[in-house]
Amino acid sequence: MALYSNAPASYADHTSAPIEHRFNPYSDNGGSILAIAGKDFSVIAGDTRQSEGYNIQTRYARKVWQLTDKAVLATNGFAADGNNFVKRVKQRLEWYEHAHHKPMGLKSIARMIQTMLYAKRFFPYYVYNILGGIEEDGSGAVYSFDPVGSYEREACRAAGAAQSLIQPFLDNQIYFKNQTPETGSEPFIPGNLPLSTVLSLVVDSFTSATERHIEVGDGMEIYVVMNKGRTTDDLLDKKKLGPGMEVEELGALGEGGGERTFLVRAALKRD
Amino acid sequence: MELNGGSVVAMIGKDCVAIASDLRLGNQQVGIASNFDKVFPVNDKLYYGLPGLATDVYTLREHLRFRVNMYRMKEEREITPKTFTHLLSSTLYEKRFGPFFIEPVVAGLTTPTPLDPNPKPYISTMDTIGCITTPKDFAVAGTAADKLYGVAEGLWEPDLEPEDLFETISQTLLNAVDRDALSGWGAVVHIITHDKVITRTLRARMD
Amino acid sequence: MECSFGITGKDYVLLCSDTSAGRSIVRMKSDENKIKSLGPHLAMAYGGEPGDTNNFAEYVERNMRLYHIRNNYPLLPGPASAWIRRTLAESIRSRSPYSVNLLLGGFDTTTSKPHLYWIDYLGTKAVVPYAAHGMGVYVSLSTMDKWWFDGMDKKEGIEVLKKCIDEVQKRLTIRFNFNCILIDADGTHTINIESEDPLADFESKTGSAAQQEGIEVPQPPIDVGVTA
Repeated sequence: MALYSNAPASYADHTSAPIEHRFNPYSDNGGSILAIAGKDFSVIAGDTRQSEGYNIQTRYARKVWQLTDKAVLATNGFAADGNNFVKRVKQRLEWYEHAHHKPMGLKSIARMIQTMLYAKRFFPYYVYNILGGIEEDGSGAVYSFDPVGSYEREACRAAGAAQSLIQPFLDNQIYFKNQTPETGSEPFIPGNLPLSTVLSLVVDSFTSATERHIEVGDGMEIYVVMNKGRTTDDLLDKKKLGPGMEVEELGALGEGGGERTFLVRAALKRD
Repeated sequence: MELNGGSVVAMIGKDCVAIASDLRLGNQQVGIASNFDKVFPVNDKLYYGLPGLATDVYTLREHLRFRVNMYRMKEEREITPKTFTHLLSSTLYEKRFGPFFIEPVVAGLTTPTPLDPNPKPYISTMDTIGCITTPKDFAVAGTAADKLYGVAEGLWEPDLEPEDLFETISQTLLNAVDRDALSGWGAVVHIITHDKVITRTLRARMD
Repeated sequence: MECSFGITGKDYVLLCSDTSAGRSIVRMKSDENKIKSLGPHLAMAYGGEPGDTNNFAEYVERNMRLYHIRNNYPLLPGPASAWIRRTLAESIRSRSPYSVNLLLGGFDTTTSKPHLYWIDYLGTKAVVPYAAHGMGVYVSLSTMDKWWFDGMDKKEGIEVLKKCIDEVQKRLTIRFNFNCILIDADGTHTINIESEDPLADFESKTGSAAQQEGIEVPQPPIDVGVTA
């Protein structure tokens, strides 16, 4: 039996080792969002696919949310955190309205989102947020956040799975990077593009991302927030919209300050 | 790939092709040289780009120059883009289990022959072990590949004339590498047409 | 814990290397020459794994010498850089790779142009106007970015080199001694970078500079009647 005094390796008991389980509180649900600010409007868009790995959980999940008459929030990353975060933002906005008898302004919402995100600095919402809307001075604005609350006001921002595909394209088309105006002509100023141009850039961005990224597709929701008194012809004229695109006006949430929010839906490839 | 950085893009136009690369050579985050071309000519209608590990860029280029010269002497004719792609592919596959860390891009025009009187502009790309793809629009590779895909998908359209193709490929490359820390530091573009090759060095962000 | 620089000028190239040898935090030698002359107008500053470095440097040196003897003329900087690069590229995929990084500096006597090559242990080669290896990368590349310009004369080049060394002494916790050479049309010269005016020191000497200064430079080849 001396032969077996040391049991051969193949006799080792594989079942007795402690099996460790660790709960992972996060997931990545893919998808992409983007927002572009105009002079007197703001466009906030996202696709509607929600996935986990190679599995599509649903072809329609909202990522873009109307918060007030002049603020729209897009969330991307871990969907459960995103939905819950939006819920709590809306709750805070309601409390504010009860306390102050007026809706919270856009830049205040932005600052509130920062504090809400940073409050969870050591167990963050795994969400990239983009806030778009109309500023108190009537200008279109975009605020972008990281998961722990660093934020910045910008003319445009892409986030999510296809950020790396879309952002350099927006740098070129919105910020006019690597472009110089012809000698003698007007200098390029970012954030002054007409709505029709912005809309087609948004559509192009998402169709491009759908083409090359597996986590982007199915459908697209584009929210357009317009300053009060602004003409809506450039959006509501059927001829100017692409085929298969539908516009719907979202009614005022509060008493209505004159700002108008529209929701444009369009289909994206489902493969 | 992430050791030295660098990116290459090729596009098809109307009776022309274009291929472009950045000029950076880095050692991880540190930039070493801003004159490191990754696109090389085979003949005046065929160019190829080798983004990836810089040591393999040289080794593979030297090897290909030898193989193409042997081909030229034996066959007494120029190699076609398609044949060159397969030469490159089998060269890479030879090292299947210890590969060159390179993702090549080939761009060229095939000279018309009686058998093939109307050849189409040709681009192709490969993975590190030589699996070929022959896109009909554009091919990208390198550390800024995903950015290049995004911009190219947005800017490219079919049947661009040489000068329009130049603008498209230049804007694609510059805007993609500006969002990539490992690519940039200048760029060079080659537009290949049947009667000439236009090579332009682009001024770019140097950060 | 190594540090070397190379700078090209109008009609010369400067190579500079620290002189310490040791392991991790221990310095065993502070006067190790880590610049090797590879021909009348060619030299390299090398560093890396101790043992590999000297073995590889001597291997290169003897091969350059062999070429010189066989052909009766030395290998020019460009071809020399290609040979060294290839040697390292083949080595990296071998069973026992050399881990040697080097800066190759040379003066092309046929075109009267200075050459500098940045080469690492993988066989990566960059043709550069100025370069650094080791710790020097992090502190002095930016110094060279700021002060280097095309067509510097010797005085200006040495000035930039001094600035680099000052930066190293200022920003790195380790104290280095430096060993410098200058290669121009006349050959290889040592530079005492410590001195107030290094340029005057070597310009005051006459004749074939290298031999008088006791640098080991291969003598003109012996005619042994062998052709390549």
